[in-house]
Formats: sequence, C-alpha cells, structure tokens
Amino acid sequence: MLSADFVIISAVVYVGLLFVLAYFGDRRARASKTSFLHSPAVYTLSISVYCTSWTFYGAVGNAARSGLEFLTIYLGPTIVFVGWWFVLRKLVRIGRTQAITSIADLLSSRYGKSNRLAVLITLIAVIGITPYIALQLKAITSSIQAVAASSEGARGSLAGVDDGALAFGIAAGMALFTILFGTRNVDAKEQHHGVVAAIAFEAVIKLTALLAVGIFVTFGLGGGFEAIYSRAAAAGIEIYSDNTFGSRFLAMTILSGAAIICLPRQFQITVVENSNENHLRTAGWAFPAYLLLMSIFTMPIALYGLTNMPAGANPDMFVLTLPLAAGQSGLALLAFIGGFSSATSMIIVASIALSIMVSNHIIMPIVLRSSSGIGQGDGRGVTRLLLISRRISIALILTLGFLYFSLTGDSDALAPIGLISFAGVAQFLPAILAGLYWRDASLKGAATGVFVGFVVWAWTMFLPSFETVSPVVARLMVEGPWGIGFLRPEHLFGLDGLDPLVHSVFWSLFLNVFMLVVVSLFTTQSALERIQATVFVDIFRRGAVPQGNFIRGSATANDLYFVAERVLGERRAAALFETAARESGVEPAQLDPSPEFIGRLERELAGSIGAASAHVMLSKVVSGSDVSLEEVMQMADETQQVIQYSQQLELTSAELRSTAQKLEDANAQLRELDGQKDDFLSQVSHEVRTPMTSIRSFSEILLEPGDLDDGQRQRFVSTIHQESLRLTKLLDEILDLSALERGERAWENRPTDAEAALARALGVCDALLRQRGMTVELGPRTRAAMVDGDADRLCQVFINLISNAVKYNDAEQPVMRVSSLVRSGHYVVDIADNGGGIAKGERKLIFRKFSRGRHNGTDQSGAGLGLTISRQIITRMNGTLELAPSALPGACFRVRLPVI
Amino acid sequence: MPDRRKLESGMLVLAAFGALLFVPPLVFVFNQRISHFGIPQIVIYLFVVWGLLIAGTALLTHYLPKYMPPDSGDGGG
Repeated sequence: MLSADFVIISAVVYVGLLFVLAYFGDRRARASKTSFLHSPAVYTLSISVYCTSWTFYGAVGNAARSGLEFLTIYLGPTIVFVGWWFVLRKLVRIGRTQAITSIADLLSSRYGKSNRLAVLITLIAVIGITPYIALQLKAITSSIQAVAASSEGARGSLAGVDDGALAFGIAAGMALFTILFGTRNVDAKEQHHGVVAAIAFEAVIKLTALLAVGIFVTFGLGGGFEAIYSRAAAAGIEIYSDNTFGSRFLAMTILSGAAIICLPRQFQITVVENSNENHLRTAGWAFPAYLLLMSIFTMPIALYGLTNMPAGANPDMFVLTLPLAAGQSGLALLAFIGGFSSATSMIIVASIALSIMVSNHIIMPIVLRSSSGIGQGDGRGVTRLLLISRRISIALILTLGFLYFSLTGDSDALAPIGLISFAGVAQFLPAILAGLYWRDASLKGAATGVFVGFVVWAWTMFLPSFETVSPVVARLMVEGPWGIGFLRPEHLFGLDGLDPLVHSVFWSLFLNVFMLVVVSLFTTQSALERIQATVFVDIFRRGAVPQGNFIRGSATANDLYFVAERVLGERRAAALFETAARESGVEPAQLDPSPEFIGRLERELAGSIGAASAHVMLSKVVSGSDVSLEEVMQMADETQQVIQYSQQLELTSAELRSTAQKLEDANAQLRELDGQKDDFLSQVSHEVRTPMTSIRSFSEILLEPGDLDDGQRQRFVSTIHQESLRLTKLLDEILDLSALERGERAWENRPTDAEAALARALGVCDALLRQRGMTVELGPRTRAAMVDGDADRLCQVFINLISNAVKYNDAEQPVMRVSSLVRSGHYVVDIADNGGGIAKGERKLIFRKFSRGRHNGTDQSGAGLGLTISRQIITRMNGTLELAPSALPGACFRVRLPVI
Repeated sequence: MPDRRKLESGMLVLAAFGALLFVPPLVFVFNQRISHFGIPQIVIYLFVVWGLLIAGTALLTHYLPKYMPPDSGDGGG
C-alpha cells in the first residue's frame, strides 16, 4: 500500500534526479553544439510543458463534468502549430535575431523599446499566472491527500497537517528547487539547456504515466473502449450534448490557441530556448501528436470513474484514485509521479520566465535610474544583482500562487482556475499579432489595448473567482459596484445570457482590439517605434531591414567595456571586444567603437537584461545619442527609399529580362521558319525542275526541223503532255497545302457519311486497281457512320491513301485490304497493302512535305505532298491519320474520326 | 518539388480549415447519437480530423524549404 510519506519521499528523490539531469544536461549542451539536447525531439518534448497537472488530472475532471469540452484546450494549440509557418516561425526568427528574453521584452522591443509597456506586461503576466501556479499547488496537494486517504494508516506523518500547510511546504520546496535550478547563471540568450533537458524528461514521464493509467483503466478495468462507452450510456452518463459545441467551445479553443503563444512559459520554451529555427518543422506536427496521445484516454478514464467510483469522488483525481482503488500501488505511484512531473515542469519554467521579466523590466530599470553609475565595486555588480533579483522574484511568484490557493481553496475544479490564467494572458495576443503584421500599431495603442483588456478581465473573471470566499465580492457580483447593475462583473453593460467565460473573453478581447486599433490610428509613432516596427514586420525580408541600432555619437571603448563587463561578465565582454578589434584590425585597446559595434553590443546586452534596459544603459554611456534619433530616423527613411528604388529597379530589370527572352524565342522561331521556307523552296524548285527539264528538252527536239517520224513526234508530245500534267498537279497540291496551312480554302465541317465517302473513293480508284491487277480484300465494314467533316475532302484523303497503296506496291500479286469499324466513339478506317511497307526510320518522315518512301516505288509521279495534305484535312476534322500495325506485310494507314 | 508559394497557401488552408472543422457549425454535422465500433461518432470524428491535421502538417512541412542561417553568424550591422 502506498503511504503519503512514501510518495513524498519519492517526489523528493524525483526532484533530485531532475536536478542531476539538469546539471549534466547543461554541461553536455555547453560542451557540444550537436549534442542530443539540441535536437528537435527535445525541443518538441519541452514545448509540452504546456501539459500541466491541469492536463494530467484536470482534463479527466473536465471531461467528467462537461464531456468533450476538455478537448478545446488541445485543439487550439494544435491549430497554432499546424500553422507554425505563419506566426510561430516569425516569432522565433524575431526572438533569435533580436535576442528577445521574454514576452514582455518582445512587446517592449517592438513598441519602441518602451520600458513602461514592459512593466505593464510583466505585472499582468505575474497576476495572470498566479491562479495557474495555484492550480499546480492544488493538484499536488490533492494528489498527496488522495494517497493519504486511500487506506488506513497511509496518512503517516501527514496526520494533522491540513491542505494549507501541505501546500505551503510544496510551494517552499518548489521555490528552492527552481532557484537552484534556473538561476545559477545569467546566459547570453537566456537559454537554460539543463532546464530544457529536465523538462523534456518530465514530458516523457508524464506521457508514459498517463498512457499507462489510460491503458490500465480502459483495457484492464473497463474491458475496452466499447464496454466503457456502453456501460456509461447504460448508467445514464451521456457524452452527447447539444450544449457542448456552443460559444463556450469556440471561446475556449480561441483562448487555448492564444495561450500557446502568450503564456510566458510557452514563449520562454518555444521562442527563447529555441536553438535552431528548423526545430519548429518537427514541433509543428509532433507537438499536436503529443497532445493527441495525452488526450486519447481522457474520456474513457472519466467515464469509467463516473460509473464505478462512489458518488462524490473528485473526478479531478480519477487518474490517481482509480489505480489506488484497484490496489495497483506501482501504477498509482507512477501516476503520482506523472502528475508531480507535469506540475513541477510548469512551475519551474513559468517562474523562470516570470522572474526574468520581473528582474529585467522592473528591478533593473529601478536600479539603473536610481544610481548614477552602473554599479560600483567589484565589477560583477550587475550580474549578481540580476541573479538576486531573479531569486527574489521566484520566491515572490510562488508566494502569490500560494496566497491565491489559500484564498480560493474551496473551489474544487482545476480547469476553471486554469482558464482564468488563459484569459488573462490572452490579452497579449492582439498586441503581439498587430506587432508582427501591422506596421502602424503604436506603443500607445498597444498599451491602451492591453491595459483595458486586463482591467476588463480582472473585473469580469479574476475578481469573481473570489466569490465563494469573500462576501464583499459575492455582493458585488449580485448588485454591482455601488448598486450599479450595469457594471455587474458577469453581466457587464447589461449583457446577459452568456456563459461567464464567454462573457469575459468577449468583452476583454473585443475592447482590447478596439482600443489597440483606434488609439494606433489616432496617435503617431516615435522614430524608434517606426524603426522597430519595420524590423519586426519585415523580418523575413533579409537585408532589407535597418537594424535597430540607433545609438549614435561618441563613446570610448573604455566606457563601453566598463558597461559590458558588468552585465556580460569579464570573459564574454573581453571576447566581444577582441572580436571587434580583430575585425577592424587594431589592438583592443585602440578600438574605436563604430555605431555598428555599439548596436551589436546593445543586442548582446539586451539578451541579458532586455531591450529597454540595455537601451537605457548604453544611452548613459554614449554621449550625443539624444540628438541623433531624428538623424537615424532620416537614415532609416533614406534606406527605405533606397530599398524601394532598388526594388523598382529590380522589377524593371526583371521585366526587361523577360522581354529579351521572349524576343530571343521569337527570333529563334522566325529563324526556324525561315529555314523551313528555304527547304520548302528548294524542294519545290527541285520537283518543278525535273518535269520542266524533260518538257524543255523534248520541245527543243520537236522545234528543230528534222526527220522525226510521226510515231516519235507523237510520243514526245504525249511525254510533254504528261509532264505538264504532273507539273500542274504538283502546283495544285502546293497551292492546296499552303491554303490549308494558312487556314484559307476553309470548308464548313458538317455531318457527313464517312462510309459513303470511302465507298465513293473505292469506286473512283476502281480503274486504277484493275490496271495494276490489284486484289482488293474488303474487311469488315461498318454501316453508315456520321462524322463531322466534308464529303469531298474526305473522299480526297481516301483516294490518296488507296492510290498510295497501289503506287508503292511492288509485290507480284498486289493485295490491298480495306476495313472500317466504329470503336469507342470513333470511326476507324484501315487501308493496308502487302507492299514493301515503310522502313522504321521513315515512319515519322512520311507525313512531311516532299517525303516519299525511298527504297521502292516504281512510279514516282507524286510530289510527296499527298500525305501531308491528307493529314492536314483529317486534323481539321478533329481526327487523326497515322500508321497502324498491319495484318499484311506492307504499310497500313489508319484514319480515325470522332463519330457524332 | 512543388511550388513554394502553393505550399505556403496549403499550410494556410490546412490551418484555417482545420480550425473550421473543430468548431460549430461543422461539428454539429457529426454530433449525432450514433456509435461506430462502440465509440461515439463525434469522438471518432474529432480524433480523426486531429490525426489528419498532424499528418497533413508533417507532409507539407517536408516539402517546405529549410531555414538556412546566414553564413557569418550574427556579425554586427
């Protein structure tokens, strides 16, 4: 049997293990840039710090109370990660190039490095996250109490200890652990590899534990999904509800989508701790997959718990109490550790993230403003100050969480507490999105929007969470402040009939966006804001963005080194200055700080203390920076103009290039056509020349007075006659072809009986066939087939094909086979012969002008244009003319025409 | 390799339509008192859409260009 003492000891041992893991993780990550700890898998697992004990315990409770509503918490982040290419990628790129340290730093940096905005964001984040930390304390406390209550004697040394004391112990332990864990040093980019390694490890533990419990409950106890669902239905527990998918479902999906971006700990892990932008590629699908695995057994566990646990059992603890009730101590311990993991990982990362914000944006600026110098004495002042302030912040944040827990300890569900935090941090979303995509979003707009949204949230959601413990709040809820019903927190401005969550989310985000947009439109941005807006919005236009280093003026290297050493530490400061000196080729002592170097230094400092503080710090050292702001603005404008000008130039030159390319193409085409024309002309001349030569020579013989007898004379004249006939035919064909090619001599395609045309052609050729003694085999013939064409032209094609079959057939017993059929909507005619056929190499050529089958052909009276013309005609009837495989040894021409 | 701009549009469509598939009114179509294999239809629907979104993202991401960091680290300016 598990006892409370035993699980507490296990928890302490587990924390010890985490510490060892973080320590070695840190050393390994520092030792090698390519270690496993820099892998996308570890990155994805660490993002799952999103799954806190709210997921581990609370989701089941939520599913038991409101059915499928629990899924919204995972669907929102799924959508955001599915679309990682758009928002997350931009955030990560900005975070990496601008050395962003927190979400407050991001917003402050975007809106003109304003420290006031950073303070506002930090305060809201601390207040907003307080309920969330309380939720974790509550979950751990409840889980220990659940173990303690599981059997007689399990209470052990917890006897007489109430929830409050237990929670205080847990909070104190957590604070100590987080301080040891997360504030051992101040890193360049606020990256904590050791912590990330430990968080990734915890992600594996909680997934394993939840899956183990899920499989055990579903298949071990419940007998499979089907049995659980049917038994629940039999017990009257319905997961169908028309109310599930209402405005609350939508609001929670939006909230969780906002939370995955805006929660300080998610921002810390996803953006600040990101060591390689390409890791997002994996996280984009792997993180939703992790969420899916985490929620696959939620519904079955909830249903099984509802049907089998005694009435009144806390559904939030089903994950732990079901194994306990089944007597599975080992599994119960695993479940406890899993829940503990999810709570600790959240507390660690959230308090590190918040402590960075508090120390960078609240404590540092106060110190900077109050002291004239930058820390005196031993030279490590700033670093130590940072560490101390972070430690105090962590203690403060956990104290606040504990206070909230003890004030609101009576409410029993986990999920509603978490939603309060989600709605609080969601107020950052409009400012973030506007900062990323809307150049004109101004500091005043963002600050007003966030502030108004926060006030509305605090009034409509945070305050009502104290309803059960404070009579004052309870009366306020019913009557409104000073009896003004118009301002009642859950019925603001008389808006009734909405779920309190939807009501609060609607008013806070609506007024937030409204103020952001309106104030931005009515105010003007300062010079620095405009620069930063450009840097953020155009982050993907590489090289086109002026970096935000606007401090100009003179400063000695000594002064700068003094500042750098105090923030970055001696080693890194020296390295930075030596690199710069090497680049400009001088001794470090003689380094003359260029504006670029000051800009780089500022970004390095910003990586440790935030953009606003770094800016203030350097402004103190660099003289003349005040005057140069306008100058820099001008520079930025000029740069912008140059960029636009060069883009225009680029565009124009691209157009020119494409025009030139088109011209070249056209030229090549013309040259080819010209070549074809030359070929054609020379072939025509050749074809014309042969008959002309014989006509001339015969007529010369006839002209000479001589002793030709009548028979000879007769033969010569008939030769001249034949040759001139051939010549006329050739010229006719050429004219016909060129007319066809140019689309002149067009005919109207009209329904024509192709079979009749074939019969007519056979009739016309009858004499020719007889003359050659050719046998005509008539193959299968179809009945009348109507095609779209011209009867005379079609007949011309058939005659041409038949006469070719006759002319080029040198077989001793010439045979021609004609068949026609209608197949799949086409009228097909095959005209085959048993001649020599067409050589393989010529098959493609025979449809060209003036090409004849060369190797045979006793009678070459044709000009070699017949097939070209035939093909042109058939093509104009939307058909094809080609060579087909033949049953006879010779060639087989096939005409295919679509039947209408 | 498919056109990068079309891939980006594909990502946008996947995210936008994925979001639409999870919220009313499209969910209403599947929110019926029907079970398949003993599991309520709406549960199957939500998890299948979820799984398809994951697969779709993995597929599109595979073809999207990787980020190439600039050559010289983060030199100044």
